[in-house]
Amino acid sequence: MFMNSNLFEPGKSKAEKNFVQQAVKQNHRLDGRRSNECRDVQLTFGADWGTVAVTLGETKVLAQVSSDIGVPTTARANEGKLQLNVNIGGVAFLDEAQSTHDQRFLTLNSLLERTFRSSRCLDLESLCVAAEQHVWCVRVDINVLNHDGNLYDASTIATLAALMHYRRPDVTFAEDELRIYTEKEREFQPLLFLHYPVSVTYCIYKSSSQPIVDPSLLEENAADSVIVLSFNSYKELCTLNAGGSAPTNVRTIMQCARNAATRSKALVDFIRKALVLDEEQRSKGSGQVPGLVGLISEAAHKMSFHQLMKDELDKERATTEDSQMEVDEQPPEQAVVSVAQDDVKKEKPKQEKETPMDDSSWLPEESTPATVPAPKAGKTKQNRNKNKGNKKQHSKKPQNESDSEEETKPVI
Amino acid sequence: MATSGTIVMPGERIASIEEVAKTKRVILGPGLRRVDDTVVASKAGPLRHKEPNTFWVDNYQRRYVPARGDLVLGIVRSKAGDLYRVDIGAPETASISYLAFESATKKNRPDLNPGDLIYARVLNASADIEPELVCVNSNGKRGKLGVLPDGFFFKCSLNLGRVLLRENCPILAAITRQLPYEIAVGVNGRIWVKAHSLRETVALAKAILALEQAGYAETDKVCDNLGDYLEA
Repeated sequence: MFMNSNLFEPGKSKAEKNFVQQAVKQNHRLDGRRSNECRDVQLTFGADWGTVAVTLGETKVLAQVSSDIGVPTTARANEGKLQLNVNIGGVAFLDEAQSTHDQRFLTLNSLLERTFRSSRCLDLESLCVAAEQHVWCVRVDINVLNHDGNLYDASTIATLAALMHYRRPDVTFAEDELRIYTEKEREFQPLLFLHYPVSVTYCIYKSSSQPIVDPSLLEENAADSVIVLSFNSYKELCTLNAGGSAPTNVRTIMQCARNAATRSKALVDFIRKALVLDEEQRSKGSGQVPGLVGLISEAAHKMSFHQLMKDELDKERATTEDSQMEVDEQPPEQAVVSVAQDDVKKEKPKQEKETPMDDSSWLPEESTPATVPAPKAGKTKQNRNKNKGNKKQHSKKPQNESDSEEETKPVI
Repeated sequence: MATSGTIVMPGERIASIEEVAKTKRVILGPGLRRVDDTVVASKAGPLRHKEPNTFWVDNYQRRYVPARGDLVLGIVRSKAGDLYRVDIGAPETASISYLAFESATKKNRPDLNPGDLIYARVLNASADIEPELVCVNSNGKRGKLGVLPDGFFFKCSLNLGRVLLRENCPILAAITRQLPYEIAVGVNGRIWVKAHSLRETVALAKAILALEQAGYAETDKVCDNLGDYLEA
């Protein structure tokens, strides 16, 4: 195992692993955070549409959206394309062996694919110009610039923010002639979304039943298992990525899911607020950062999660503290479930929840565009609920705040 | 060690050393190079001078180049025949023999596993062969070397490691006033610390890492902060 893994990375040696395990056991994190406390998220928008740099502690990710007209696939002739392109060359210093590089790349790539493509978060039909002839191909380039843990969240936040920020040129198709308008002729148009997914990462250790959120690189490497949950702003599960060898139980995962749903909603709200701010600044013509160096420099104008979301943060803190106490009271013998059983359980909710997601393709096209505030979102949700009937009943389970003991038992 | 304030850049010709060289023999340390009759800096950083005639550039570096006699912290990577391969942060992995431990014999092998942390001395290092480590001194005693169980270990710049290893380092003495601790500093930019409790260990590690930016003048401030944190 140690032959392939890279000992240059923090958290890979035995001493560090043991230390982190002990620290988690004593409910203590190396950077002084609580187990349910996230690092600050900072967004910087570039001068171009769809350019966003995300900073999560020391983790830095840059996302850039671009689009051009292309030919659709024959299977989906009336849908645009969304292409996600991950580049982790920026953290190549961590990888001395090709295998670790590939592994890091593949996990991140598959997470993004599942979160944004499989969950069908973009309204791809709205990207169709002429069926079977011309569609928009939207391409997201995700560049990882630095890795200090939780690359998953940073990348999903960057991708979502970039997609929401992006404006494509207007286009008309008449008499077999395709015409793309410049920004001067017609205003650029934002992409249409069906829902807004964002991921939250948890680390679970054998020494403790309490999962920790938003791990640093040291914590992530020392963890026994890493769980990545993608939720959209309607608190529906989009992706669940669970692996590793830590014995977890349904309760822990449900607790993670519940907290992740709240956190995701807060993150999406934060991105919305940041976009509104950016819009204001753009109309004033100030605060534009040209070029890459301007984007990632310390002096760049950053929109901080802690600043923008102060009220929500306080609320969130109050609720998460409650749930933490819940876990502390829980009898320890219940906590340990064997890993094999556990995997099955993890699989189950995922399948249940992923099926309804796919239905969204035939939803009415009244989905909320990027800049519309939250109230409208509620309306869409009701529609979706109606469409799904009793399937929805299943998938709603993790979000119920009610006493989860009875709630979760049937799943076991 | 005299700290002259001059910062030199690579390629810069340093006339002050040439002045001294006219009257006596000078020793050029790391970061300085002689080109014909001139002295040229090959690294960026403050120029240091030690009486009577030694000069070097104290540049910020994180990449370790092994040198004979260095004390280093390494992580065991694998077993290979009668050798262990040890990662010491150098371009090449180092090797340490089974027999290079205290009271080790062919039958009585040390119990080391991949991932273990060892504190060792570089026995020989050259550009062409892989560096070799030992965990004993010339009398066959281990001294302070050997496996480091538990505790916390982290990486820093080579400069910080060297600063801490200096004789009468004021930093370590100042921290002693705050809490009792154990420390092993490798010149390869790796530091292992251990205090009584986990909280203290973390605080200690943070304090030492803070010193990287702080410099000598702020040592007291960092130590006060550490004291405040531990009391809180």
